[in-house]
Amino acid sequence: MHIYRITVVSLLLLISLPSWAQRQVVQGYVRAATNGEALIGATVSAPEAAIGTITNENGYYQLNLPEGEHTLQATYVGYGTATRTVTVAESSQSINFTLEPASNELKVVEVQASSLQQKLNDTRMSVESLSSREAKLLPALFGEVDLVKTLQLKPGIQSGGEGTSGLYVRGGGPDQNLVLLDDAMIYNPSHLFGFFSVFNPDAVKSVELYKGGFPAQFGGRLSSVVDVRMNKGNNERIRSTGGLGLISSRLTVDGPIVKDKLNFSVSGRRTYVDIFTRQLNRIKEGDKDYNPIPDYYFYDLNGNLNYTLSEKDELSLSGYYGRDFFGFNDSGFSFGFDWGNTMGNLRWRHKFNENLYATTSLTSTGYKYNINNKIDIFSFKLSSEVQDYTFKTDFDWFVGDGHSLKFGAQATHHDFTVGRLNFESEDSTLSFGAGNTYSGSEFGLYASDDFVLSPMLSFNYGLRLSGFNSSGKTYAALEPRVSAKYTLNEHTSLKASYASMMQYVHLLTNSGASLPTDIWYPSNRNVQPQRSQQAAVGVSHLFGKGKYLITNEIYYKWMQNQIDFRDGANLFVNDSLENEFLFGKGDSYGNELYLEKVNGKTTGWLGYTLSWTYRKFDGINNGRRFPARYDRRHDISLVLMHQLNKRLSLTGAFVYGTGNAYSVPVARFAFQDVEGKEPTVIPIYEDRNAYRLAAYHRLDLGAVLKLKPRRGEADLTFSVYNVYNRRNPYFVYFEQQKDKNNEQTIIGFQAKQVSLFPVIPSVTYNFRF
Amino acid sequence: MMQKRLLYLLLPLLAILTACDLEKDIDVDLPYHEPQLVVECYLEPGKQIRASVLESSGYFEAPTPPMVPDAEVFVTTPAGKRVQLKYKPLMIKSTGRFYTHTSTEIMNGKPGQVYQLEVTDGKGRKVTGFTIVQPKVPIDEVEWKFNDKDKAYLLTSFYDDANTANYYRYMTHIDSLSGGSDRDFVTSDELTNGKRVSYGSAYDYEENDTLIVTLYHIEQQYYDFISSVSDAKDANGNPFAQPSKIKSSVEGGFGIFTNLAYDRKTVIIRK
Repeated sequence: MHIYRITVVSLLLLISLPSWAQRQVVQGYVRAATNGEALIGATVSAPEAAIGTITNENGYYQLNLPEGEHTLQATYVGYGTATRTVTVAESSQSINFTLEPASNELKVVEVQASSLQQKLNDTRMSVESLSSREAKLLPALFGEVDLVKTLQLKPGIQSGGEGTSGLYVRGGGPDQNLVLLDDAMIYNPSHLFGFFSVFNPDAVKSVELYKGGFPAQFGGRLSSVVDVRMNKGNNERIRSTGGLGLISSRLTVDGPIVKDKLNFSVSGRRTYVDIFTRQLNRIKEGDKDYNPIPDYYFYDLNGNLNYTLSEKDELSLSGYYGRDFFGFNDSGFSFGFDWGNTMGNLRWRHKFNENLYATTSLTSTGYKYNINNKIDIFSFKLSSEVQDYTFKTDFDWFVGDGHSLKFGAQATHHDFTVGRLNFESEDSTLSFGAGNTYSGSEFGLYASDDFVLSPMLSFNYGLRLSGFNSSGKTYAALEPRVSAKYTLNEHTSLKASYASMMQYVHLLTNSGASLPTDIWYPSNRNVQPQRSQQAAVGVSHLFGKGKYLITNEIYYKWMQNQIDFRDGANLFVNDSLENEFLFGKGDSYGNELYLEKVNGKTTGWLGYTLSWTYRKFDGINNGRRFPARYDRRHDISLVLMHQLNKRLSLTGAFVYGTGNAYSVPVARFAFQDVEGKEPTVIPIYEDRNAYRLAAYHRLDLGAVLKLKPRRGEADLTFSVYNVYNRRNPYFVYFEQQKDKNNEQTIIGFQAKQVSLFPVIPSVTYNFRF
Repeated sequence: MMQKRLLYLLLPLLAILTACDLEKDIDVDLPYHEPQLVVECYLEPGKQIRASVLESSGYFEAPTPPMVPDAEVFVTTPAGKRVQLKYKPLMIKSTGRFYTHTSTEIMNGKPGQVYQLEVTDGKGRKVTGFTIVQPKVPIDEVEWKFNDKDKAYLLTSFYDDANTANYYRYMTHIDSLSGGSDRDFVTSDELTNGKRVSYGSAYDYEENDTLIVTLYHIEQQYYDFISSVSDAKDANGNPFAQPSKIKSSVEGGFGIFTNLAYDRKTVIIRK
């Protein structure tokens, strides 16, 4: 065995050493031409040498190229491609790129796609990228562009149900996604029970989603990392961007405060359905048969401030504040319900030298909900909250000889308020309360190496040490991560990855929706951390002169200490929540096929996922393994974008998915109850999720028409959701059929399917000046 | 003015959306369900011991619950007397209650005493259960208060025993016990142990309304059963609810065997 290992290592060295002997470092920065902003995650590649990399937090890259002449290409989503020819000789060189914004929307997609060669060469796998500009092209429900929902069109990423923005990644739940906004975690990334995400498309630059092969710098959630980057202010002039839509409007203002030193960006978005419903209530006032419509609205505020202290130091402050509000007022009765996230993040980027960078941040992030109910002198208040304070530092070190190291540390203090209830009367005759508070400390230490062994073989391997302490109990775990890429030839590469993940904070929810009353809960003596492991292999092939990339990935993920609840669990007001928990296992496996077409007037992608997702709990389904509700055997998405002429672009998206696994009652019995009650029919549920809803499919069409305003740019975005008015199942229930003569005698039972959204046309006016 | 105009623009769209029929009949293939015995037997101090024994059925089978004429029902009293309830379907006209098995035995158990139930039938099915007689918890006060719209809310108060874990079922009826309850819920004393507990209502009542207020002091198994029945009903038709299994107080089938210890007050709402 020992001899075998030595032989393999020697062979690898023999393959790689000659090539390294003739290599030199080419390094530099990629910046935006408009504002000089460092472009994070831009691709820099030498396609002929099949070598490429992406820029770090400072927009910095470093490549090891063989001696000779190379064409270097820098690309970034939403910007044009910059090309430079470089002759690599005896010493290292510095090549900087400045990228111009893409002149039209469709070209943006081309740019994204022109990096397909790099995608082929990237060591990372299972990563999906999307820019805000790209998402804005596609048709959207009510015209509300939503990056998270657009991500659901990528293979391996599913929605939980009609219209919802929750992400179910490779069999994981929506609470198992690490959602980061400028490196700061967002606990509940949705508005209105999950129908919209909290990300205002004008405030967001891009999003990257990791489905597997997680780099070691990420931790704390099992199934995905959603890395959202906000737009930064430009250094040239004050600029406004915005839109007027069917249900909301948005406005962003950005620009310099001190030229080339200090810039800002502020965004706001608010829905205004409540304005119409209030008006309707006013018109119908006095109508006894009319039930007033409660008020509902949500809003988001995003902001950031960037200060360049020196060539080596940059400070940035970013923040998010969003709230949903639901309220109802009548004489003597009022009901108010509000919920939302608050995040603030201060970051300091420091460059020690060309090869060593550090980013240090302090973050405060929290999510809370409040319910206030008042009837005459009685008041009822219920609230839950999670609040985090995080210190984080990350280092990027370009060591040379094909090694790029990342290492860092993170410490978070969590405060949890769970179900704080207060019920009282003004005359003090009644008063009682409930609720618990907990705190927890979470830490992470990590190191990883992006190692290019040869032009053909590269690795990214790392280790994360994570830990958590709460209520006197400490957990710690090692999370190994590794991914590898082997280039078979210029057009084909093979990839593999393995990642182990821990999750110490859990979302308690016993419904299929993202309800604001869902509670975050720490690991403790009785609640062990969740753990997952995922292995994936893939192959990518570039063809059609680099216009098409086809990728196929197979994954297997297994999860321990998954949390569910006993039947009839009460999570709402309960001081002994842990008595309601059940702990079990989960596993998911599948195949994801992804074809991207990138050049020409027609671009788009086709994704097909074949997958299986199961859960197993002692207290559910008699201990037998059962399909998760979002277990979806087949999932297809086809996205096409066509530029008809300079002013008009047409887009379309078609999705098809096997129906959700669902529980329906198989039998019933008649229950008379005690005297004074009417007899009722009681449903009997047996196997969990044994029934399948009808398949889900939908076609959306859109068009973007460029206008010619006197100043700036403007467009009208038309969108038709569910074009052929498919009645997709939202849920199914069984209804009693009664004798029409007496409305009492039950004559039979009928299954009913309820759908949510019929065909919905919308139009949005967008401007920028 | 602008708002009004916008509203008029929006109204046709709302009308289109609401006019769309988003519900339709579908066919659902269900697996075969092996019928099980369903037993309901409530022991009430001073009343005859009676029970109903029926069968569960597949959801889309005939709506009338199947009877089980060959079921044999026995209740064993705390004194060890094994009382057989004879198969004799009976409908009490005044209350609309239906029993399949009855006896002349009067329930006279004292708090803490145990009754047992056994049901068998020709198919070899067997259902068993037991119940511990609960003490009655007296209603301390029923009060009400009017608002300026001449509507009153109701407040019912009682004292919880701090030494025991207690479960309650609270019901109100308007005018009479027939025709269904006005309010009905079960609670535990988890948040109110040892306190004076009050159950309120919204401003639902008018002057001269007659209200019948009942406070049942129930066993945990009855609380679990009622809760699970309510959860199961809620799961059929609520997309946010999770499916819930019935937690019967009996073994070998579905149903409830319990005793009813309650205090009841009738009040007329006056200013």
